[in-house]
Amino acid sequence: MPSGRRSGSNSKPVADLKQRVNRLTWPILALPSLAWLALFLAVPFYVVLCVAFGDIDPLFRTSVPIWNPLNWRLEQILIIFDRLFGPNNFYLAPVVRTITFVVIAVVVCLIIAFPVAYYAAKYAGRRKALVLTLIVAPFWISYMMRMLAWVNLLQTDGIMNSIISLGGVLPIEVNWLSGKSYTVVMGLIYGYLPYMILPLFAALDRINPSLLEAARDLGAGGFDVFRRVIVPMSIPGIAAGILLVALPMMGDYFTTDMLSGSPNTSMIGSLINTSISTPGQSGQAAALLLLVLLVLAGPMIWYTRSMYSSEVRT
Amino acid sequence: MTNSTGENRRNASGARLSRRRLLQASALAVPGMMALSACARLTSAGAGAASSAAPSLQLASPTNPVKWPIAAGNEPIAAGLEPERNATLRLYNYADYLNPEVITSFEAKYAEYGVKVEISTFNDTPEALTKIRNAGTPFDIYFPSYDAIGKLVLGGLVRPLEHSYIPNISNAYPEFQNPFYDVDWQYTVPYVLYTTGIGWRADRISEDIGARANPYDVLWDPQYREHLAVLDDYREVIEMTLLRNGGTEVNTGDDALLNAARDAMLEMNKLTQPRVTITGYTDLPEGRLDLSQAWSGDLITALGYLPEGVDPSVLRYWFPSDGKGMVNNDTMVVLKGGENPVLAHLFLDHLLDAKTALTNFTFTGYQPPQVSITPSSLVSEGLIPENLSSAVVLPSYFNTGYRALELAPEVDAKWQAIWQQFKAGG
Amino acid sequence: MTVTELPSRRTRSKSGGPHAHGLATITTIYLLWSLVPVAVAILFSFNAGRSRSVWQGFSLRWYTWDPNGSILNDPALRNALLHTITLAIIATLITVPLGVTFALALDRWRGRVPTGASFAVLLSFVIPEIALAIGLLFLVTTLATPFALGTTAQLIGLITFQLSYPVVIVRARLLTIGKQYEEAARDLGATALGAVRRVLLPMLTPAIMVSAILVFADVLDNFVIVRYLSADMSTETTSMRIYNTARAAPTPALNALATLILVTCLIVIVVGWLLYRRWSKGQGEDGGLTSFTSTL
Repeated sequence: MPSGRRSGSNSKPVADLKQRVNRLTWPILALPSLAWLALFLAVPFYVVLCVAFGDIDPLFRTSVPIWNPLNWRLEQILIIFDRLFGPNNFYLAPVVRTITFVVIAVVVCLIIAFPVAYYAAKYAGRRKALVLTLIVAPFWISYMMRMLAWVNLLQTDGIMNSIISLGGVLPIEVNWLSGKSYTVVMGLIYGYLPYMILPLFAALDRINPSLLEAARDLGAGGFDVFRRVIVPMSIPGIAAGILLVALPMMGDYFTTDMLSGSPNTSMIGSLINTSISTPGQSGQAAALLLLVLLVLAGPMIWYTRSMYSSEVRT
Repeated sequence: MTNSTGENRRNASGARLSRRRLLQASALAVPGMMALSACARLTSAGAGAASSAAPSLQLASPTNPVKWPIAAGNEPIAAGLEPERNATLRLYNYADYLNPEVITSFEAKYAEYGVKVEISTFNDTPEALTKIRNAGTPFDIYFPSYDAIGKLVLGGLVRPLEHSYIPNISNAYPEFQNPFYDVDWQYTVPYVLYTTGIGWRADRISEDIGARANPYDVLWDPQYREHLAVLDDYREVIEMTLLRNGGTEVNTGDDALLNAARDAMLEMNKLTQPRVTITGYTDLPEGRLDLSQAWSGDLITALGYLPEGVDPSVLRYWFPSDGKGMVNNDTMVVLKGGENPVLAHLFLDHLLDAKTALTNFTFTGYQPPQVSITPSSLVSEGLIPENLSSAVVLPSYFNTGYRALELAPEVDAKWQAIWQQFKAGG
Repeated sequence: MTVTELPSRRTRSKSGGPHAHGLATITTIYLLWSLVPVAVAILFSFNAGRSRSVWQGFSLRWYTWDPNGSILNDPALRNALLHTITLAIIATLITVPLGVTFALALDRWRGRVPTGASFAVLLSFVIPEIALAIGLLFLVTTLATPFALGTTAQLIGLITFQLSYPVVIVRARLLTIGKQYEEAARDLGATALGAVRRVLLPMLTPAIMVSAILVFADVLDNFVIVRYLSADMSTETTSMRIYNTARAAPTPALNALATLILVTCLIVIVVGWLLYRRWSKGQGEDGGLTSFTSTL
């Protein structure tokens, strides 16, 4: 590691040695994790590239990764583009559907999360610890268990239907779990909402109450304070919340799988998941994944940078 | 049937069936495969119009039986060897696709040799083949569908059988003693049989689906929207659609036929919004589905999932009474990487034993091709209720029915693309 | 996660603001909506019958005494539970030390390499899980790796995915600690490592504790990575089990399985919180529930 060698010549050899050791300490401490990330983050990503730009064995229809970037082929990428923009663009429907689902879910998450986070941060008073604990609780309950809970409730003979039919009095029976978009969107909201509340809470909690009082003293009404002080000051929290919720939703396939199972609610994640387990299509899965990552790279890098700068600032 | 077997078997069809088809064109990127593919080009005798176009595997079909080569260095083991002592016989199978009692009885039979049987199961076929190929674990026995045999042989993954260890082959239907996909049964013995048809609940659906002019149409009937399902299996759904469209070439590579099938499948998505699932064997008895494309064994399995108080006679299964539907079978092979070839042979023989096969049937719900298990005996002995007699696989179906053959790679690619489009939802 | 260290002052806002009522109502409804379904699911794990929607009396049948279907007696369920907990323990034991040393090193070491590495860690936090899982799946299936799909691959994926937790949390804590303690120790003759060990590490204990809990809980919850990198039935986790059977033929045993994982998680959190409180108090800091939960 280069930085360890820069100690230069020092007249006192013992001090020099000590300094060298001290300087080398950090690179050495970092080494295991660096090696880990290189092996299990960088290399796999490169393998995805090699598969996406790779070949297909003509006989056995398996993906043949091409390791040398100079020989990379665009075949798989072109297949994806053709399915997105070509004459038979059947990828477009799930893509549009995913974006619609995610946008609706994110907006609803924000609408629910903001007042809840605001209440927890500003009004919960003595109960703050309790409220916060309850809000955080879903984090500790596995995602699959929470989906299972809804699968139970939404069975045709389940509790939800007996509630809305007033215990079987009304002849209402909704088949919630058979390809209903609203069920899937509800599942996404339910699943990811806690990830929205926490950054919002952090941002709102940071707002100094005296600032709000000052605004009021200067004659601002309740709504003005909200619009001119609270919202602008919570923008970083909102942005972080949207990202934390939207990014995993873009790769989600299990929510729609569990709550619908119908092609009519397939999402991008479902396309990737189906391709990956189909012989001959893992290259397409890799190419599709790359495209998704490319589209999400902007927000991901923005978020990473903002976290990074908050980390190094002293 | 107790809850327990139900519980254990829940995954049986589930885990297994989705994989059966995946197997067909699976990853067999054997090192040095280029050399092998040269061998593969030896013959390109075709099954159907499709295969003639490109160099490919031999595509076995009833009209084109294939006798697989036996590679030098991969000769059968000698006859009359002692079973391995204190061995662990490793089976590689779909989850719960074997009755544990069958294992116990095998261990008891060869107790003097100290044999222990260990079943590993897999979640994903590409992964299964990757493992077999890398020989990370030396599996002895594998249960492929017959249309994967070609690749297993050409990949050098299976061991030819020494027939003297397997006298019970005589219990099997004669056609499986010389099947078209493995002439002279050099590599395979048959495991179980199944047809593909439609299962439904008579208490929820008043019509007799079999009475329709084209029973497959029921899956396109909007009155059952959201209450039906098709199998999560690309071959089965496309084959079924081809049959529904009046075709008989269920392994076709013809673009016009395939496009018509694709359009029909997309139309089905719009009209009835089917679920795509292989859990019909529990969804039907438990009332989450009224109607589903199904394998014959599924309906028999479904009996074990009926909630208390539901009359078993509500379960129905339709398969064309003239036998012109999809009829297929799974096989057992001995893997080359295994360490216990003698015991492996003996295990195959054990499963072909009439009594063992019957024990296994009561657990899996899938019918073995045993001469002694006659269709009428299954019903008369109460193993299958009268209302599901249509789920019995008749030997004659193998003459009249259609079989899902190995597809040429480029044809398979077309089928996969259609399936992707269907699953993407329009 | 992003909520790293919050000001620990007690909020003294008047709890009677003009909108407080409305907000309290919304919050209550939200909490009910978010927790009641889970409570119902837990309740039905104690159902005496097979149904998950019709209550047939209280029983531990699906936990212990059902001869075949209970967690105690169904090897598949039992194995899923044990495998999940095993993964969580091992992943935590490896991830936390790896992440803590990494955080220390990245915080002190200046240059391009550590900057890039910091970035990579944060990226691994936001990257969709499916991307990492598929990358590792390809790695295992296309290259001759010394490990196959199964427990080892699952652990590697989980550790890579979780590494960012301890790194981010410990670095944030390092920021608030500042450099003065360490420098004082160095002035007194300690080596860099010695200063870390004697001075910094004790001060970091709460942060390490919290990241350990987070990693543990998150591994229990993980689905995408463990599923793609699993091998056979013996490497099936509870989340996979739920996914595979929730729509098929589940009995309340599935609810019981999920409940047990939840209980495991709660035990770890409560123990963690008690320890956290003790350590924080020892350092004269507020060890309140608020600061603990918000650190999570």
